[in-house]
Amino acid sequence: MQLLLVGASHKSAPLDLREKLAAVPASDALAKVKEAGFGEAVVLSTCNRFEVYVSETAPDRLSDLKSVLEQFAGAPLNGEAYAIAGPAAVSHLFSVSTGLDSLVVGEGEILGQVKSAYETARQAGMTGKLTNVLFQRAVFAGKHARTTTGIALGRTSVATVAVELAERIFGDLSKSEVLILGAGQMAELSAKYLVGAGVRKLRVANRTHSKGEALAARFKGEAVAWDAMADELGRADVVVASTGADRPVVTVEMVKRALATRRGRPLFFIDIAMPRDVEEAVHKLDQVYLYSMKDLDSIVQENLSSRASELDKARGIAHEFAAEFCGWLEAQLAGRRFALRHGEV
Amino acid sequence: VEALLFRLAFTFYTLAFGLAFGYLFSRKESLSLWMWRLLGVGVAAHAASFGLRLNAFWATPENRFFFPIHSMYGALSWLAFSMAAVFWVVEGRHRLNILGAFVLPWAWLSALGALGSDPVAPPLLNPLRSYWLDLHPMVLIAAYSVLANAFGVGLALLVQERQVKSRKPSELCFRLPSLEELDQLNFRLIAAALPWLTAGIVMGGLWASRTWGTFLDAKVLGALVTWLGYAAYLGLRYGRGMRGRRSVYVSMAAFASLMVTFIAVDYLSRFHGYLTRG
Repeated sequence: MQLLLVGASHKSAPLDLREKLAAVPASDALAKVKEAGFGEAVVLSTCNRFEVYVSETAPDRLSDLKSVLEQFAGAPLNGEAYAIAGPAAVSHLFSVSTGLDSLVVGEGEILGQVKSAYETARQAGMTGKLTNVLFQRAVFAGKHARTTTGIALGRTSVATVAVELAERIFGDLSKSEVLILGAGQMAELSAKYLVGAGVRKLRVANRTHSKGEALAARFKGEAVAWDAMADELGRADVVVASTGADRPVVTVEMVKRALATRRGRPLFFIDIAMPRDVEEAVHKLDQVYLYSMKDLDSIVQENLSSRASELDKARGIAHEFAAEFCGWLEAQLAGRRFALRHGEV
Repeated sequence: VEALLFRLAFTFYTLAFGLAFGYLFSRKESLSLWMWRLLGVGVAAHAASFGLRLNAFWATPENRFFFPIHSMYGALSWLAFSMAAVFWVVEGRHRLNILGAFVLPWAWLSALGALGSDPVAPPLLNPLRSYWLDLHPMVLIAAYSVLANAFGVGLALLVQERQVKSRKPSELCFRLPSLEELDQLNFRLIAAALPWLTAGIVMGGLWASRTWGTFLDAKVLGALVTWLGYAAYLGLRYGRGMRGRRSVYVSMAAFASLMVTFIAVDYLSRFHGYLTRG
């Protein structure tokens, strides 16, 4: 009894092939695998990968499994797909579930996808002893890597750092209102992230009102008059400044006046404009926090450098869990007892 | 057995306190869960110890239904217990895990203080035989323990404020609750404690003036200053919209006055004295 794997991912296959495979419903895929004579199988299908894991006792069935994949692809596959057997296949799954094999390394969605792939197979009656233990362990390893290493922490781009800082000030952003100054590309990108974080209200103030309206419309926000900006500072919580102005558009005096109406609620400025849009002295005011592009970028750089060691830790976890599973499998085949660790590792 | 249970409670407080600090420097969620569990065991053991103490104290008929918190040991032990219990509830409801490191030290210190003082419950002096008096320290110490929790929350807020203002936030910044959450919690705890503080002071004042004909006592005055400090905090926050760092300074000044009242005034007061006269 050993694990066989065939698959294609963002690392091996071009987009059109991945799209084609992603369109195959998991239940159809499982049925086809069953037809080909495999008893235990799990199909993991996401937009970036399509993988079939089977448990097989007969040797040399890897090519049979590969031809199943070729049926789905509708063409013979060579370099675009991988076919792995034994411990290497186990290792691969643990890399996947810990997020190490993802396009965005450390992203968390894959864990849920692995879980639901397993659930689908289980409900279809396609799982057995090997796949049951294997996938439960893979999910456990993924959770463990996410909670004990920094692999899952975003903060590797200016936008994610800005959003996390806003959350450090306001907590849940669903009660916060955002004001965007400017309507350029950077303004749009920040809007996207903040809306993604669930802000309550987005307003855009731009010198050319129509452009501001267009940006606001894209995020179901509201465009406000450029001249009303000083008043808007009174009700916004997060202000993203990214205009092309050659001198600061937000002055200390404006912010002081705005503070008088805010009843002590903090105000967070994210100034990503070059040259800067918000006067530096604003940061000295009580309950006001101003971060420039440079500040955010240095936090990102620091995180990227500390992340390398977190990735190593996560690799260690994936490796450890894979080795443990292989030990368990070997013990099963030999009829020995083998206890898998739970809880703290 | 009572002393043993108290030692047990103290051991669990120490463990929980250690785990809270461990959590501060690691990412292991399980540490804070265990901190909460162990603290729960500590609180339970402490409650049992308190129950036994009550039982023993009430064995003397004239002591019946008075709470033995008129000695330094009794007061500190009750303080540690209510601080730990309040934190246990706050933590259980809000899961602001990291706060343990800011709050538990105070519960631990006061349990340590109790451990270091004479556990023998002295007989009640005659003027102390009044239900007013009985409730008065009980209520006040309960209010103190909520305020001590608020102090810990305020401390966390100052640390977080510094982090965000520095523009070089460390990992700690991303683990602490947000400024707004801390500010809200500080406010809610103080707002919840103030009525009890008021009631406790009024009871003490009324009773003092009935018994001694005056409430002008160093402890009563200290308590009034404390009360004014917390009232000022609430007033400034409510009326002037003062929040964040500055409002925490006000609440911390009030807490400092509370500590002075609770401990130092003992030496100055004619009628109150846990340390000097028991």
